[in-house]
Amino acid sequence: MFALLGVVLVAGAPCVLPAAAGGTKLKPPQNVEVDIIDDTFTLRWARSREPAGNVTVSADYRMPRIVDNWTKLPGCQHVTSATCDFSSLKMHVYEEIKLRIRAEEGNSTSPWRELDTFIPFQQARIGPPKVHLEAEDKAIAINISPPGAKDSVMWQQENPQYSVIIWRNASGAQTWNETHHSRFPRIKIHKLVPETTYCVRVKARLLLHWNPAEFSPVHCVSTTVENELPAPENIQVILENDTYVLKWDYTHDNVTFEAQWLKSYLKRMPGSQSEKWAQVQGCERAPVARCAPPQDLFRKGIYFRVRASRGSSSSPWSQEEKFDAGRQVVIPPLIVALKPLSSRSLQVSIGFQDQTELQHSLTYEVRFWENASNAERKTFVEQRADFPVLSLKPRTVYCADAQALLEDGPRSQRSRPSNTACAATEAGGAPGALLVAGVAVMLVLCAALALGKLVHYVFFPAGKPPATIEEYFPEEPTKNLLLSTSVEQTEECFIVENVDAVSAKEVNHLDEDHRTYTSQASQDSGHYSIEDESGESGESGGSQAGEELGQRGAGAHSAGGRFA
Amino acid sequence: MTNRCTLQLTVLLCLTGAALSVNYGKLRFQQRSSNSACQDLLWQLITSPQHCLDDRMDFQIPKQVEQPQQFQKEEAMVVIYEMLQQIHGIFRRNVSNAGWNETIVENLLEELDEQMDRLETALEEIKQEGKFPWESRTVLRLKTYYLGIFQYLKAKFYSRCAWTAVQVEILRNFFFLNGLIGELQD
Repeated sequence: MFALLGVVLVAGAPCVLPAAAGGTKLKPPQNVEVDIIDDTFTLRWARSREPAGNVTVSADYRMPRIVDNWTKLPGCQHVTSATCDFSSLKMHVYEEIKLRIRAEEGNSTSPWRELDTFIPFQQARIGPPKVHLEAEDKAIAINISPPGAKDSVMWQQENPQYSVIIWRNASGAQTWNETHHSRFPRIKIHKLVPETTYCVRVKARLLLHWNPAEFSPVHCVSTTVENELPAPENIQVILENDTYVLKWDYTHDNVTFEAQWLKSYLKRMPGSQSEKWAQVQGCERAPVARCAPPQDLFRKGIYFRVRASRGSSSSPWSQEEKFDAGRQVVIPPLIVALKPLSSRSLQVSIGFQDQTELQHSLTYEVRFWENASNAERKTFVEQRADFPVLSLKPRTVYCADAQALLEDGPRSQRSRPSNTACAATEAGGAPGALLVAGVAVMLVLCAALALGKLVHYVFFPAGKPPATIEEYFPEEPTKNLLLSTSVEQTEECFIVENVDAVSAKEVNHLDEDHRTYTSQASQDSGHYSIEDESGESGESGGSQAGEELGQRGAGAHSAGGRFA
Repeated sequence: MTNRCTLQLTVLLCLTGAALSVNYGKLRFQQRSSNSACQDLLWQLITSPQHCLDDRMDFQIPKQVEQPQQFQKEEAMVVIYEMLQQIHGIFRRNVSNAGWNETIVENLLEELDEQMDRLETALEEIKQEGKFPWESRTVLRLKTYYLGIFQYLKAKFYSRCAWTAVQVEILRNFFFLNGLIGELQD
């Protein structure tokens, strides 16, 4: 009976298939793609080549971690065109989502085609940011608004960085362009030419994600006529006698300067927050190209900018210079020493006065010269603090001094010059040096061999210990005698010392008595030559203990030495 | 045996002497001191948590953050950066209702800004070395977690108790950050 049923079922199945093959079987859409740009989600597919009829397409979605059933995708139900927009779905952009799509015609539907799972945030492309330009005579300020709408879900937790391409919109043969990268939404490009049209394109990028991005449309602006007063240049914060001083360069006379500062964390804030510049006290109307701001400004990172004024006209603001308190390292004073190495070389050693250990790696600039009137100075740049200078003349005095360079960050720091050290190369010709070198090599080899033999003897004794020791060491004696016995003896010795320390001290004064005492106490010990050595080591506690040790084995002397 | 020892020692010396472009020791030191400065500042902000027991919330920080040993140093760096970035974003919000000393909040933002600065440099370096962990799922889970905190604050209208609950959660964050910083090992 069941076999009959089985046969019917099996027979039934092939009967179904021919009917389907013969009829109009719908195929699901081909070449399906998900396109996400900012918060716009689009599904695209290839239109079927079959004659249109009433073929529509519908899609479902599923989020394995949140919505685990197949749900209708809003905006993508019974669509006649080749795309559909499902942006209205309030999406968890960081969660995995799975889509499936099928074609429909009348009552019949194609099988579902499932797309690969994806995470919208990782799939999305970054749209174009909004750009606003402001031109000065030799600079352009670019204000960038992040991509996406104000209530954007996709990038709401992101702090994008920006890349700006700027080029000169000139018809001549000279094409000039620059690419700038900015971590903040406001960027100012300096060193431009007045009365010229420049064009920019901006795109956003995320530090932690590999999302491709779209450029903004081209924006152009013309720089203004050259200003009467140029902006100050080369703003620096330098340390003078333990005080931070702001310095800059200026070409014109008869001007006063105004300096402003901004806490660097404000640069990260969106909008106008990033422009809360404050006056630097003591630099509101500086007559010279330097001023000393209050030292409490220099706690954390800050930006400085300076402008010049004459009468009612003022220059544009200078380039903003960042001072990073964490990056300022005061390099302690250097000390240079020269030592003769041979007749043709000297060793340069650079150290610090305070023996401080720096976290940063320094580069040293060493000036080297012969102590003669017209000597040329050679400069070496070295990372090492100890290095030889070769190919020198014998019996000549050379001198050197050094400066340390700290290459941390965009601007390097230079320490004050060190002392000048002088030394003379040794006498003697080249053959002598070779001979000495040869002898030295031989000696080193011999010493190495001897050391090797000693190590081998001490650590891996090949000999068989005397028979008497075997009484005390019933286990195999080929173990590392020295090390194991000394461990045992340490424990023993503590006990011994405590008991005998008092009495031993009394006897220490008279050498003879000391010797008598020790010989009396050594009645029952084995008489080893080493015993005398430990007696001579001087301290009573040690020798007493050394005696006890003498009973135990060959390593007595070195172990006894511990108590000396 | 001595020969093998020497060989091993030589290999070890060579490896440690190899040039490393990211100075992890220095980064770890800087991050740790910055982290403890942030924790001190946060403690100074705590006002009266006992009134806010009803607003306690389990924000469900991703489990991976609680077990930082599983991270490679590059992923640890990325996770730390994401957390700092999000914490910075939180304290940038409307804190007026919290009744906090504005200077302390400013100092906290300054400290976070400096920490992020250091990490940004290190992250660019590992990108150039080709070791950047683009596929980190933990970063995505963290984004969901911090989104939850933002939505909680908004739902509670940035009330004082809501801020207190968030502050306690961020203190926990710094504790986990310490663990992550420990993974910045060569």
